[in-house]
Amino acid sequence: MKIGRWFRPLGLGLLVAAPLGAASLLNVSYDPTREFYQELNTAFAAHWQTKTGDKPTIQQSHGGSGKQARAVVDGLEADVVTLALAYDIDAIANAGLLPKNWQTLLPHNSSPYTSTIVFLVRKGNPKNIRDWDDLVKPGISVVTPNPKTSGGARWNYLAAWGYAAEKYGSEEAAKDFVTKLFKNVPILDTGARGALVTFIERGIGDVFLAWENEAIYASRTLGQGRFEIVTPSVSILAEPPVAVVEKVAKKHKNEALARAYLEFLYTPEGQEIAARHFYRPRLEAVAAKHAAIFQKVRLFSIDEKFGGWTKAQPAHFGDGAIFDQILKAGR
Amino acid sequence: MKVQPWLAMAGALVLGPVAPVFAQEDSPPPSTEQKVEELDQKVRILERRAELAEEKAAEAAKTAGTLTAGKDGFSLRSADGAFQLKIRGYVQADGRFFLDDTDRPASDTFLLRRVRPIVEGTLWKNFDFRIMTDFGGGTSSVQDAYLEARFSPKFKLRAGKFKGPVGLERLQSGADLLFVERALPTNLVPNRDLGVQLSGDLASGAVQWTAGLFNGVVDGGSTDGDTTDDKEIAARLFFQPWITQTAGPWKGLGFGLAATSGDNTGAIAAPALPTYRSNAQQSIFTYRSDATAAGTTIADGARERLSPQLSWYSGPFGLMAEAVTSRQEVRRGDTRADLEHRSWQVSGSWVFGGTASYKGATVKTPFDPANGTWGAFELAVRFGQLSLDDDTFPIFANPASAVSEVSAFTVGFNWVLNKNVRFVLDYEQSSFEGGAARGDRPDEKALLSRFQVSF
Repeated sequence: MKIGRWFRPLGLGLLVAAPLGAASLLNVSYDPTREFYQELNTAFAAHWQTKTGDKPTIQQSHGGSGKQARAVVDGLEADVVTLALAYDIDAIANAGLLPKNWQTLLPHNSSPYTSTIVFLVRKGNPKNIRDWDDLVKPGISVVTPNPKTSGGARWNYLAAWGYAAEKYGSEEAAKDFVTKLFKNVPILDTGARGALVTFIERGIGDVFLAWENEAIYASRTLGQGRFEIVTPSVSILAEPPVAVVEKVAKKHKNEALARAYLEFLYTPEGQEIAARHFYRPRLEAVAAKHAAIFQKVRLFSIDEKFGGWTKAQPAHFGDGAIFDQILKAGR
Repeated sequence: MKVQPWLAMAGALVLGPVAPVFAQEDSPPPSTEQKVEELDQKVRILERRAELAEEKAAEAAKTAGTLTAGKDGFSLRSADGAFQLKIRGYVQADGRFFLDDTDRPASDTFLLRRVRPIVEGTLWKNFDFRIMTDFGGGTSSVQDAYLEARFSPKFKLRAGKFKGPVGLERLQSGADLLFVERALPTNLVPNRDLGVQLSGDLASGAVQWTAGLFNGVVDGGSTDGDTTDDKEIAARLFFQPWITQTAGPWKGLGFGLAATSGDNTGAIAAPALPTYRSNAQQSIFTYRSDATAAGTTIADGARERLSPQLSWYSGPFGLMAEAVTSRQEVRRGDTRADLEHRSWQVSGSWVFGGTASYKGATVKTPFDPANGTWGAFELAVRFGQLSLDDDTFPIFANPASAVSEVSAFTVGFNWVLNKNVRFVLDYEQSSFEGGAARGDRPDEKALLSRFQVSF
């Protein structure tokens, strides 16, 4: 039919124009970043609208970091991922959804903010918990998620291991230390947010091993006056990374938007929002402004103590690896 | 050192209250408050574990498949519905009794008319399959075995063995029939054939189109293969202009046209020509065949069919009408003819306690005598005729054994207990022209009954 043929290009034009007019982005992130990205999304949408005239819709999805990475590999169409550890994004890269050199595409190894692992204890610190050694004492109940499913928990585990290896001088001693620690863990939640519920809402445990940002958030927002933060003598430098899932972004025709979204995290405005949500900013000026929030602590990096995620992950968290052995010994 | 048990017990009784004091040197005994706190923690831990187990189960349920059993059969379904397996089937236990058949006796019999287990399903959301076998009548056969790719509602591709898209009543499932047996026009349309078919619904189902290429079968016949290169095309257009309306008397009105065209060539051993049956399933027409070239009629050339059809269902009222012409070039020895047989039928029904539909009467309140509900009752009547081409006789068929025309009427009573169970009782009467050595074949009067379970 002639009329139909004439109308066809018009229809196609409308189909193409519709997504351009209402760009949308899915950010697949880990558990404790909900509130941070809610605020950042609003700020970025306004920023993008000022720049381009279009207001994007940004959706977010949260869960255990490893679980989220698997979901993306299995087909969850994330345009960007903002996960707890580089290993999880490596898994997405290995599935061919983004380039293997993704960590070189943004500053600071694609980690726009950092954090560390601290202890959240009940008001007055009734069990007098001061450092890692206190966590392995009999009768201390420790709350941490499962390192097999939670990126945050892997940081907890490695922080404890790094401390023990340094203090007691051997890997065997570190393993013994971490085994004792996990014997004191009554429940293994799958994600950091679930563990927070266990500790704060359900009132279980004496100490919660938490992301620093999560601990500050909890002590100030969820249970004001009910909790205290204890910063251990030494902890790990946690560098949550971000990346554009290029294959998906390309399919959605929003690569530029996705890249701009992640670059916004490095701007003073993005860094300010990160700091407001208790992530340690990379920009010195912003870090100096919020210095009072973050306790000084000696930090070691995963590269320094474990040779990076590519070595740490299979050695500690692979099937049948050290964490599985520890769990088996403790049960 | 061995301690006598009685001494140990006495010591324990005496020292019992003191022992914790010694123990206090290393760690003081827990206070009542501490014990309560410890117990409280244990309870909280158990509660939280139960909560996490529930969350895990709920999460697993989102991705777990479901197993369902109900009036539509039994099914397995993946969480996203992309994979499904359905087990269905139906059994028809019939009775067939002939009245006043002294002049031309016919066997009164109970029989299993259809025993059909059905396995059907979906793979990867858009690919369906169906396998239906039949063990009725003491034989076994594959009735349906096909795959269908649903590219869109407007465009589907099916391949395998299935009903050719021609006869209106033939396309109705054997479990949904208004009467025990289909009407006379079904004699002239293909039953199941092997081939490929394209189909789709346009305008939200207001227009249904079907076109296919098949091996080609004789009138009323089925096939499991082809020994010739002859093939047949079949097509059907069916309109239901008011189907998208939510209600209204015309919503259930449909009409259409179906046709086939192809070549059909038989041989002395396999003439490739049909036998026609009365509504009571008695053979009433066959072509001449004596295993010699001179005495056997064979198909030899074009075969074409045309079938206008109409159905209308509105509340308790149902109407079905169809006509078929079937043209076939035949040859006996050197004598050729182009024969055209015709048939038509009109049936009407009224459902008490339910609604009429192409898929059988539906019941408002299923049979449950304890609550005073009895299902639905359906009254039905049908008229039909089959006329053989005059040129058929006497060369191609023997007028002393093959009828030249049959007129039939049927009165039916159906008790539909629920979606799965029904009783059917029909009175069939057919009158014939020809088909006897002298005059006409005697009228055929029969009572047909059915007890059907389908799921």
